[in-house]
Amino acid sequence: MTDQPKPNAPEDAAPDSMSRRGFVKDAGTLSATSLLGTAALMTNSDEAEANGNWAEWFQGNYRLMTQEEKDEAIARLERRYTNEYGKKVTVDSTPAEKGVLFGYALNIQKCIGCRRCAKACVEENNQSRGDQEIEWIRVLKMEKGEFNSVKMGDGYPESYGIQVGGNAYSASGVVLEGEHYYEPEKVPEEDAFYMPIACMQCEKPPCVKVCPVRTTYREPDGIVVVDYNWCIGCRMCIGACPYWARRFNWGEPNLPKEEMNPKTHYLGNRPRMKGVVEKCTFCVQRTRKGRYPACVEVCPVGARKFGNLLDPESEVRRVLADKRVFRLKAELNTYPKFFYYMD
Amino acid sequence: MQANKRVHADMIMKTGIRIAALCALGLGTMPAVQAADGECFESRDGASKVVQKEIGENLKNVECSDTTGAVLWWGDPYDGTQPMGDMPVEIEGEAVVKSRTAQLNLYPVCGVACHNGSFPAPVEADAPPRKLTMHMDLVPDSMNLQHGNGGIWCLDCHDAKTRNKLVDNAGNLVDFNQPQQLCGKCHGQVYRRWREGLHGKRIGEWAADGKKRWFVCTECHNPHDVQQGERKSGFAQITPEPAPKLPKNMDNADHERHHGH
Ligand code: HEC
Ligand code: HEC
Ligand code: HEC
Repeated sequence: MTDQPKPNAPEDAAPDSMSRRGFVKDAGTLSATSLLGTAALMTNSDEAEANGNWAEWFQGNYRLMTQEEKDEAIARLERRYTNEYGKKVTVDSTPAEKGVLFGYALNIQKCIGCRRCAKACVEENNQSRGDQEIEWIRVLKMEKGEFNSVKMGDGYPESYGIQVGGNAYSASGVVLEGEHYYEPEKVPEEDAFYMPIACMQCEKPPCVKVCPVRTTYREPDGIVVVDYNWCIGCRMCIGACPYWARRFNWGEPNLPKEEMNPKTHYLGNRPRMKGVVEKCTFCVQRTRKGRYPACVEVCPVGARKFGNLLDPESEVRRVLADKRVFRLKAELNTYPKFFYYMD
Repeated sequence: MQANKRVHADMIMKTGIRIAALCALGLGTMPAVQAADGECFESRDGASKVVQKEIGENLKNVECSDTTGAVLWWGDPYDGTQPMGDMPVEIEGEAVVKSRTAQLNLYPVCGVACHNGSFPAPVEADAPPRKLTMHMDLVPDSMNLQHGNGGIWCLDCHDAKTRNKLVDNAGNLVDFNQPQQLCGKCHGQVYRRWREGLHGKRIGEWAADGKKRWFVCTECHNPHDVQQGERKSGFAQITPEPAPKLPKNMDNADHERHHGH
């Protein structure tokens, strides 16, 4: 428990002079709990930050913490973030509400591929910017392509037609490869449709099954979360996810102070560190306070619907009742809480 | 803002000469809302203007995209809204909308300056389309109105006398802030879906009985151009946000296009 390899080793942060750092280091063999106590006592001093880091280092798995421990961890984080970002940062710990199971529905017929959802998500969720850019939502462009007799001879081996061996030089018909980097002047383009993907908040999430330290788990309201502090960066979950929904902080995240969203949740958009995995949480910091996710609000065509799957009056339930709905890769039995639909 | 405009309109009424001057100056061709720094549009480019401002400590009403001038994030979903007003069917929860009239350049003067009810003489509601000299910026080709495939024209929506009101097919005046009451008369099915929250969008609280800001029809659709010629689409194209960063050591995304075109 105490030998968790944490990437942002506090060595860099601790001041060199008087050695609280040394003290804590020497105390490395002490139990985590007594350390927590010590850290809590020390946090009033100027070196609060360094000590906070140490305490963070040794804190338990969020899911297993007592409320007291959670409060302590959160107070510590709030101090550190407030200090680091130069503004009052709050770290919320609102738990799942009884009787709520979050669901999401996306109208694939309406989506125009403008990527505002992806950018809204970054604004809201404090992802890394610039060279270390991380986006949780990807919008894939699907080309409609064409069926055309001229292409019939384009296959391999030559002159045997496109269907032979599936080895066509140029594919025909709807091209479902999904382009990520399309950059036309205007969207929607005439010959395309778009398919945004992000975390599907599976009911049986493969990522949760493979996590060796159980730092990623499913909350009672259906949101799959990550306790970043407990994440060891092994990236098994990234490999296991069939939807390519998880991202890894290969470097120290780059989150400019002025762009930082100070309203955070422990399991959501609080700043991450190098070496941890992150992903969509349905904007847990917003949705547990009653607000729509940022991507829902920003979608200019209203293609994104969100609500409580247990409430028949909710927008998602109405979609499920009225529209043609499908789940991505349903055959994998992951049971996503993210649905695609058409009018 | 509303009040200011009303005062403005009163002033114009008092000075009759200015009326003519204003019309002649081509107030009618005033450009639609234009984007500037700290200003962004919501759904339909040109239909709305949101000015970015601080609404609390470290909180802005909106964040705007540097590249496209679109709203990227709502700090306060209810900023600048007003109660939706009458709905024929009761809605659970609180419903607010943004004023359309506050966004319409011509609204403050349209009922008094150029059309005061008796002058110029109102045309018959079922008069056939004719070439217009005004409003060419709003309605590029009046002979071929891009709504209704030739089946409808100006006075199917605008009242012949009371120009600052819309009119439905039963002759009821409809406020510009309640376009759904007009559109719904011809697009019943979509209107019902809109009321249920499936067509269009609402922001604010997700709970069925939560407080929501509803987007009204004209915030997304330009009533004068829901066909857009060849596009045959009710929603105008917009500029997309920039593509994500390419993975390290990848110079281009040509691999995505290996299938020709
Ligand atoms: C007087 C009747 C009438 C009114 C009022 C009306 N429309 Fe229409 N609208 C039509 C007709 C007719 C069509 C063409 C339908 C078709 O070709 O199938 C149409 C087409 C449309 C379309 C394109 C439909 C498509 O198939 O792509 C949109 C979008 C639309 N209207 C929006 C609106 C909005 C928004 C309003 C309110 C500002 C409105 N309409 C008011 C009659 C009306
Ligand atoms: C389908 C209904 C419909 C038809 C047909 C229609 N309009 Fe409109 N018009 C509207 C609505 C609704 C608005 C308010 C738009 C908004 O809120 O953005 C409007 C707004 C306007 C405005 C004020 C715009 C501004 O920015 O101040 C003018 C002028 C106008 N219409 C002229 C015309 C003319 C001229 C025609 C015929 C060639 C016409 N309209 C046909 C529904 C219609
Ligand atoms: C948030 C934006 C938004 C709002 C608000 C909105 N629409 Fe739409 N509407 C769309 C989009 C996007 C489409 C699809 C256009 C396309 O595919 O060409 C559409 C399509 C339509 C169509 C034609 C296709 C269909 O679905 O049958 C009609 C008619 C229409 N809308 C009417 C209305 C009316 C009436 C209202 C108000 C009661 C309204 N819309 C409100 C975005 C909106």
